[in-house]
Formats: sequence, structure tokens, C-alpha cells
Amino acid sequence: MIPLTWYLVLSFMMIGLGGYGMMVKRNLIRILIGAEIMGNGANIALVAISLYNPVFYFTGQGLIMLVISVSAAHTALALVLMLMYNRRYNSVDLGKPIEMEGR
Amino acid sequence: MQGFDPALFEQIEFLFLAGMVLVLAYLALEHKEIVYAAFFFGFMASFVAGFFLLLEAPFIAGMQIAVYTGGISALIIFAVLILPRVQDSTLEKFASARVRHIGLLISAVVTVLTGFLAIIFPWAESFNEAFVSISQDLNGLALWLWSENGIYVQMVALIILTALVGAIALLKIDKAEQLGVIIGASGGEASSTKDERTIADDVRTIDESKEVDA
Repeated sequence: MIPLTWYLVLSFMMIGLGGYGMMVKRNLIRILIGAEIMGNGANIALVAISLYNPVFYFTGQGLIMLVISVSAAHTALALVLMLMYNRRYNSVDLGKPIEMEGR
Repeated sequence: MQGFDPALFEQIEFLFLAGMVLVLAYLALEHKEIVYAAFFFGFMASFVAGFFLLLEAPFIAGMQIAVYTGGISALIIFAVLILPRVQDSTLEKFASARVRHIGLLISAVVTVLTGFLAIIFPWAESFNEAFVSISQDLNGLALWLWSENGIYVQMVALIILTALVGAIALLKIDKAEQLGVIIGASGGEASSTKDERTIADDVRTIDESKEVDA
């Protein structure tokens, strides 16, 4: 049996990696990918905890289903916002508005 | 097979999956070509489904593959393909070395601290760590989800639907406003759609910036 700690360490590593992508990257698509990696890490932690604790078995799995569904919707919304950003600034670079203002 | 230890096999499987997921996640963030990065993200999502299978949650694994690998990766690849400026890796600007180092430091500190807490936290005392084999109980899960918590599921479905309709409305309003500007400027019907114009403008801008670089 794999200890619960292994899953949690892995999920925290994924959350850290996704956080790094969100903090450092300037491309909106890469930032979105970073957010999705963080979400995947959180999902692994939730499923692991729900399976190792009988009290949370259904709660965890039901929660994951809702999280995955909401994640798909938020990605679609993020992509629409990205298209609007691209139309306005002709770029998906996050620093573009600051550059255009000359700051 | 004599001497075969299933627990050891499971642990090796976990380590293999963890290695693949971390490498693919890193490549999805750091690969120079964003199209490849999007594909790496899709592969990473597929390997994450392997963890759900290891955790004996096959329904979640199926959902992960359907939504993340099939839906979200396809959406990201679609977004990359309809934005010509994004495909050109020479135009992508990266953060300075200082910002990268600070970001790396913060994320490393957060990861180490949370990982340390996960290791020292007394899980065994907080709840029964014995593995409960109630896996593949989809009937129970469906009953719990739809009978006991049906109202929450419907509420979340409504929120998701609202978000999607809002996204489509935002896109349409923006497009209509820009089309109105084109029609107003030309004094008549626009000869081409806004999307065609945007793509043509993008390609022209890319060519100009390449000439400047050369």
C-alpha cells in the first residue's frame, strides 16, 4: 500500500510547479496551463485523502467531480477572456498593457 | 509468481507515474514551442488519471481523461491554433532571470513547507489510515451525489452553464462592437469579417517584427 504522504508530497510538488508557472510566465496560455497543473495537484490530494479516510469517501469523490466540471468551465471562460485580450492588445503577453502605457 | 510483491509493484508504478507527471508538467511550462507545451499538458493530464486508478477511483479517472485530456487540452490547443502570434515562439517574451529566481524561490519554499507538513502531520491519529476497500461502488456514489446532494449538483451545473453562456455573450458583444467600428469607418458593409482582418493584421505584424529583428 502506498502511504498517503507520498500522494500529498506529489500533489504539493505539482501545486508548487503550477504556482511557479503562474508567477513567472508572461504568456496567458502558459499561466492557464500553470493553473491547470495546480488544479490537478489539488485533485490528487483530495482523492487520496477521501480514499484513506472512510468518512470522506463519497464527499471527496463527489467534490472532485464538481471540481473537474467547474475547471472545464473556467478554462473555457479563461480562453474567451484571452481572445478578447488578444483582440484589444494584439498579444497574449501579460506585460503588453504596461508597455503600451510606457510605464 | 513466486516472490512477487504487489505492494512493491504498486510503489514502482507510483514512482514512474510521479516522475512522468512532474517531467511533463515542467515541459508544459518551459518548452519553447507553445504547441508542444499544450500537447505535454494533455499527456500530463492522462498520466494523472493513472493516479486515480491507483487510488481505486476509476470513475474519476475516466472523468479526468474525458474532461482534461479530451476537453481542456483540446481547448488550449484550439486557442493556440487560432492565435497566430502565439504560435511564433520567437515573439514570446520571457520573464527576467531575477523574476524567475524569485518565483522559483517562493514556489520552492511553499512546496517544501507544505511537503514537510504532509510528512510530519499525524495522519494515523487524525483518522483511520487503514485502506478501506469500498472502491468501484458507483451505485453508492451516484446515490450520495444525486439523492443526498442533488440540489448542490444542480446548483453547480447552473453556475457552470451561466459561466459558459456569459463567455459566449462576452465574445459576441466584443465582436459586434468591433464590427460596428469597421462598418462605421468604411461607411458601408465590411468586406471581410473581423477575424480574417485580425489574422491578416497578426501575420503582417509578425513579418514586420521579424524584419526588424533581422
